[in-house]
Amino acid sequence: MLQLEGKHILVTGASSGMGRVFCQMIAKEGARVSLLARNEDRLKETLALMGGEGHKYYICDLTDEEQLKATVSTLEALDGVVFCAGINDFVPLKFVKQEKLERIFQTNYFSQVILTQMLVKKKLIKRNASLVYISSLSSKLGVAGTLLYASSKAALNSAVRVIATEMAPLGIRANAICPGIVQTEMLGSTNIDEESFTKQAVDYPLGLGTPEDVGNAVLYHLSDGSRWLTGNCMVIDGGYSLK
Amino acid sequence: MEMKDFIEHFVEQFDETPSVEVSPQTHHHEMDEWSSMIALSVMAMIDEEYDVQIKADEMRNSKTVQDLYDIVQSYLNK
Ligand SMILES: NC(=O)c1ccc[n+]([C@@H]2O[C@H](COP(=O)([O-])OP(=O)(O)OC[C@H]3O[C@@H](n4cnc5c(N)ncnc54)[C@H](OP(=O)(O)O)[C@@H]3O)[C@@H](O)[C@H]2O)c1
Repeated sequence: MLQLEGKHILVTGASSGMGRVFCQMIAKEGARVSLLARNEDRLKETLALMGGEGHKYYICDLTDEEQLKATVSTLEALDGVVFCAGINDFVPLKFVKQEKLERIFQTNYFSQVILTQMLVKKKLIKRNASLVYISSLSSKLGVAGTLLYASSKAALNSAVRVIATEMAPLGIRANAICPGIVQTEMLGSTNIDEESFTKQAVDYPLGLGTPEDVGNAVLYHLSDGSRWLTGNCMVIDGGYSLK
Repeated sequence: MEMKDFIEHFVEQFDETPSVEVSPQTHHHEMDEWSSMIALSVMAMIDEEYDVQIKADEMRNSKTVQDLYDIVQSYLNK
């Protein structure tokens, strides 16, 4: 039997990178997927890559509360959510500004919490469902230039633990996954160039990760096989943390 | 945008390099103090001072301070 047969899963950040690959993998395991992101063309591209039936996409800017409300009001009940939308901005401390802090926290932290809140309030999260938050290894380290990003993801990790406790009575689980460097579009869009990422590969005993590597962890978190796992933060980094 | 000011802002990103040592012909990648952190700072400075977001590969491919200046100028002309 397929791992996610009959389940309905929402994936945010479905238009690119890891989110796109997760959608394909989740559909392959028999689930119906609701895809969310801002860019319609790219959402359609993801949809075209997916097998299975009943998938729908939602165009929504997570940082816009009205759009979020409108989207949530049309969603059907969920067996799982993968919170994968996220942004990055590498800025040294001396260039950190309130405005930059707000921008990154809007997407990586506030909107994740607000979306969860809305789904819970509207009772759209079914009993025994699984909430999976894509955090980052950066949240556990102190790499130069990552202040904005790392702290937004660390805030997310904390939220996940509280959500896990509050949702446990319904058998709903909340966990974070903290990947090391994964080769996706995000790397191209940051102000750190690809060459320096490739250089970092030497620090990864098992090399840099692929979206599929993280996707397999996501499938486990969404499946009933992880029914006793909650409030956890899984580091998946090809051994980077061993050093 | 003036080259003189650009160099001044550029030099501010360093802790030890005095401004007399930097000219438009300076090869920044070869400077003693140059590091990925300084590269990030220079990019952030360009964003803050000129409202231009240069790309990482433009940063990497620029050899001299003049090259960097020209990149910023080309964005400003757009
Ligand atoms: N790549 C890595 O090395 C790495 C490592 C650790 C963790 N992560 C995390 O993994 C997640 C996915 O990263 P990725 O590398 O796959 O990035 P990516 O390719 O840049 O994709 C980011 C996704 O987030 C969506 N998004 C961003 N802002 C949004 C908003 N305001 N509203 C709705 N959707 C929004 C984007 O869609 P639209 O532009 O269409 O809205 C896109 O689908 C992120 O949370 C990232 O922090 C990445």
